[in-house]
Amino acid sequence: MLKSIGILLIAATILWIEVPPLLEKKLKKELLVFAILLAIGVGISMTLGFGKSIPNPLDLLTFVFKPLNDVISLLLK
Amino acid sequence: MMKDVKINSYQFLVLVIFFTIGSSILLVPSGLAQNAKQDAWIAAIFGTGIGLLVIWLFCTIAQWFPHLTFIQINNKLFGKWIGTIFSLLFVSIPFLYTTTLLAHSGTFLNIHALPSTPMVALNILMGMIIVMGVRLGLETIARSAEILIVVFFVLFLILVVFISPEIKFENIQPVYEAGTKKIVQSSLSFVAFSSLNAVILLMIFPAFINKTKQGKKPFLIGNLIGGIVVIIITFLCVAVLGAENTARQMYPGYELAKRINIGDFVQRIEALMAALWIISLYFKSTLYFYASVLGIAQIFNLKDYRPLTIPLGMIAIALSLVVYPNVIYQKNWDSTTAVSYSLSMGLFLPLLLVVVYAIRKKQLKKET
Repeated sequence: MLKSIGILLIAATILWIEVPPLLEKKLKKELLVFAILLAIGVGISMTLGFGKSIPNPLDLLTFVFKPLNDVISLLLK
Repeated sequence: MMKDVKINSYQFLVLVIFFTIGSSILLVPSGLAQNAKQDAWIAAIFGTGIGLLVIWLFCTIAQWFPHLTFIQINNKLFGKWIGTIFSLLFVSIPFLYTTTLLAHSGTFLNIHALPSTPMVALNILMGMIIVMGVRLGLETIARSAEILIVVFFVLFLILVVFISPEIKFENIQPVYEAGTKKIVQSSLSFVAFSSLNAVILLMIFPAFINKTKQGKKPFLIGNLIGGIVVIIITFLCVAVLGAENTARQMYPGYELAKRINIGDFVQRIEALMAALWIISLYFKSTLYFYASVLGIAQIFNLKDYRPLTIPLGMIAIALSLVVYPNVIYQKNWDSTTAVSYSLSMGLFLPLLLVVVYAIRKKQLKKET
């Protein structure tokens, strides 16, 4: 619980630092990408904070590159 | 705002040196010694040679488009949609490697310096200075690299001079026992680490150098100097620790610094030497992070990349706790999938660019 409150506080600080200058310059697209990325970041951190595991991106890559791995190890053996 | 940034060719040279040395100085010797045994240093020389060829390919591509970053080249050659897909795939490389390097630095500090600190705290500290550097911009990164390269080479010289009395030439004999095939095999991961991944420097190289024509030389020379540093470290590891011991260590370079003993007086200076690895790891991960943030900003056609740094840093820190569940997984990943991943993004994608450029050359000339 404490961890998630901490993460939310950090997210609030980031919003407080970043959003006013963006609104001032009227950079809407930047604001949208920023908000999406921040949401992903908070989501991942909260999941980890509650002690749940998240899927490892390297596992996905291992799955994708399995054929190439096999070819390389065949070529060099 | 993004166009004004320019660094000179010396600063670029320093950045390339740091990028090439990067994590290789810490991790590559054990990987090389696993297959090539006492010929690990020959494998390192071989790897540097292949690496220079790869860098030459990058330079050639860069010279065709002297004012564009890699993402913009993609968009121009493949068109908007296919180009964006390739760019997204390309951006995944610097971003994922930022997280793995964060994990490396956290693990290294956790094992050797601060064992009872939780790893997340170390990753947050490292991540914070990376985000800070990238927010301040490329010029700031380049200038601090210019200062810290002196510190780096002084420490490196101290390490080399102080360890040289411990060299035992029996350890590297018989020379060339492993055979060509084993040497090529083990040099592959080194090439992937230090040269193929240098494809992300194409985000900086032609576009942000003040004299584009002279940019080719520092890229090649920087890669060569970095390669020589890694060759020296690998040679010292094998000659001092022995091939078996080097292969077994997780951080053979650090073990090397522990062996320093001058007249029973100068000893246990490895914590000082750890500055070497922290400096080079920092610059490598900063360059990766800069490339990924700038890449994402350019894919979405944003005017400024700075707002994206903090959220992306947050994601990178969170993922850095997940990417390597344990050391076995890390070793396995580094020697198999990391190589194919770097090969496909660092060699096949540029080669595809060359082919498409050759086909569309006339059409592109008409447009401009």
